[in-house]
Amino acid sequence: MSEPVVTIRDLNYRYRGQKGFALEGINLTLMRGEFMMLMGPSEAGKSTLAATINGLIPHFHMGKLSCGVEVMGRDTKEFSVAQMAEIVGMVFQDFEAQLFSTNVELEVAFGPENFAVPREEIKARIDENLNYVGLDAFRNRPPSTLSGGQKQKLAIASVLALKPQVLVMDEPTTDLDPISKMGVFEITHRLCKREDLTLLIVEHETEEALFADRIALIKEGHLIKVGQTREILSDVDLLESLGVMPLGIPKFFKAAGLTELPLTPDEGVETFASSGFKINEAGYQRMLAAEKAALTQKNSPLIECKGLSYTYVGEVEALKNVDLEIHRGEMVAIIGQNGSGKTTLAKHFNGLLTPTRGEVLVNGKPTREQGIFKLGQSVGYVFQNPDHQIFSEKVFDEVAFSPRLRNFSEEEVKQRVTEALEAVDLAGQEEEDPFTLTKSGRQRVAVAAVLASNPDVLILDEPTTGLDYSEQRSMMNMVRRLNENGSTIIFITHHMWVVAEYAKRAFVMKDGDIILKGTTREVFSQGDVLRDAFLRPPHFVEFSYRLGYTFLTPEEMIACLEGVHS
Amino acid sequence: MDAEIYIDNNSFIHRLDPRVKIIIFLLTFVAILLFENPLWMLPITVLIVAQLVISGALLNLRRIRYILIVLTVSSMILWNLFSTGETQLFWRISLESLSFAVARTMLMILMISAGMILITSTRNEELVNGMIMLGMPYRVGFAISTALRLVPTIVSSTITISQAQRSRGLDLESGNLLERVKKFLPLLVPVFISTIRSTNIFGMALESKGFGAKEKRTFYLVFEMRKVDYVVLAFAIVFMAVSVYFAILGYGQIEGLVRF
Repeated sequence: MSEPVVTIRDLNYRYRGQKGFALEGINLTLMRGEFMMLMGPSEAGKSTLAATINGLIPHFHMGKLSCGVEVMGRDTKEFSVAQMAEIVGMVFQDFEAQLFSTNVELEVAFGPENFAVPREEIKARIDENLNYVGLDAFRNRPPSTLSGGQKQKLAIASVLALKPQVLVMDEPTTDLDPISKMGVFEITHRLCKREDLTLLIVEHETEEALFADRIALIKEGHLIKVGQTREILSDVDLLESLGVMPLGIPKFFKAAGLTELPLTPDEGVETFASSGFKINEAGYQRMLAAEKAALTQKNSPLIECKGLSYTYVGEVEALKNVDLEIHRGEMVAIIGQNGSGKTTLAKHFNGLLTPTRGEVLVNGKPTREQGIFKLGQSVGYVFQNPDHQIFSEKVFDEVAFSPRLRNFSEEEVKQRVTEALEAVDLAGQEEEDPFTLTKSGRQRVAVAAVLASNPDVLILDEPTTGLDYSEQRSMMNMVRRLNENGSTIIFITHHMWVVAEYAKRAFVMKDGDIILKGTTREVFSQGDVLRDAFLRPPHFVEFSYRLGYTFLTPEEMIACLEGVHS
Repeated sequence: MDAEIYIDNNSFIHRLDPRVKIIIFLLTFVAILLFENPLWMLPITVLIVAQLVISGALLNLRRIRYILIVLTVSSMILWNLFSTGETQLFWRISLESLSFAVARTMLMILMISAGMILITSTRNEELVNGMIMLGMPYRVGFAISTALRLVPTIVSSTITISQAQRSRGLDLESGNLLERVKKFLPLLVPVFISTIRSTNIFGMALESKGFGAKEKRTFYLVFEMRKVDYVVLAFAIVFMAVSVYFAILGYGQIEGLVRF
């Protein structure tokens, strides 16, 4: 590797009005052509660090910055963000908010226009970059008609049009569905081969980190460790302690007692064979039998869809003749791409939508007859973005909103709120302002607000999106606890590992139809069907069925393992 | 759900130079204000209705039809109460006050329509570039386009938010006026908060793409006036001149109208 492109020396930064440092003592150098992944838990300072590189800090966010960041010899303190834009491109997580134009071409033209690039040259750059990200066919479309993934690709193209030397991407795929994630990753895989471009990506998907040259781990504003990708990903315990998801394969082999850890499915299969491990067949069969037995106990139907079809006014059919049954006490996942009909289906369960054709029965009665106000008491729905429902100044009032609307006595309200907050581990925070909580805290408030009406069924639309690994775990552990206490849980998610570890049954949707249903294990054993729906099981599951089994977690596989060295 | 105002149907009006459309829009405003007699407002009304039909802006008017109905009803009542005349019809309403109320209502609806035609048929960038070519500073133009751009974002988040709150038991359809107004709080707060959050990112993204990096910037989108643009513009100016001429001569007023 050649000369340094970004140099960060003894960087300290404090947001205005805050006591603690958001970043402290950061030293980091990025080389030309390097691809570095920045990982860490929520609120660790990842976005803050990313924002120092193009000068958004200290120019856009007020605060105290000491010592400095130098990119290609430019000190970010001396140059404005706009001036830095020529050499540092920045792509944000929110793909809606970073597009300004009503036309794809003009979006790409925006950056070069600001730098007074001649029109002919702008035209050439539009062609080149739209082609690069595969949006050629959409050049005259308004960006608002594109899918989330296409919007993010457009954002990348519009930044590349400035011909930056450094490209910083702050969680570019966090809000995307699996197929769009793959599309964006496919672009980053090509970008990281470019010798002239230095890449810094903030990302939660550990499997993608395999493509990076180096990984930097950050927590509470401090760089914990910067190292080669293999070295960092092999340190399973460190990742776990930082709240970063470790890869399942090294986690498994570490638990099995190895020290040289394989990372990818290919390496895993090889190591498995060479270390003389075997799966205990009888143990595996016992596990499957126990799983079946547990499921057959839950057989009283709570939600039934019969020939359910739904068409949005003036649009194509969003649901096509869907039949399904969810039993009392189950915990099921609905998976599929955006636009496959997951949310449309779930909105039928609480009566937000009523079928165009067919019928949805909740507790044996058609939803059409019950209406949303009444159904809302037995079927709680937690929307994806907690900021779309929180409006109170105090956590207590937010959670009390629903019971109060249903005219419970203030005493009963208080009791329900207390119980709901206990269930989401927010007891004692009644007087807090929900807007000052973290994303995961707000997500919990939203769940509590729905729990307060004591629903039988809880629907969660992407409860783990935007949370870090440890927050995702504690959110899902909490949901599982609710399930064990009798609630029926239906969750929609894009995180395959969450499905693998938490759902008992899964429904796979594609184009408004359920193309696969069964126990989670059965669903994940159908690799081909999943790929057809553009879903990808976690590396660990893939590794296990290359050995001829379907294990959902490293723990399960360890329990069935023979030939462990002691 | 498509919340975009611009409708991409490439009509005759869509193809006009944005500068011509902006000038016509301004002239239309003046022309609407010239007369207070609804009969004299008919010619401009006919022209605007024709544009509504050609540009497809009727569709957008339909989307705001409830607002238009409320405006029409309240304006018909108010202007009748605030003016009077010699020819008593019934109760407090005279022929003069009635025609005046009709004219004022037309004025409002026509102004909204003229604005709708402009933004239905002109892309955001065309509008802004048009304004800039007519002499407006770039930053002001950009601010206007940003405001327009926020409308669809706000509409779509409002839809989601109202679904989320209805799922929690909020019933927007019942209760008296005061109760209903109070019920909008759970909708308004999240709409504001999420809009502020997203405009913050918008600001960052804007600077990150070099907004205002150089004094001079290139405009990728350029327009050239075609023959048809000149013809339309000439027609608009002649129409305007004739209207002003009649207005100066004193035509188009309502005789015997007394305003309070």
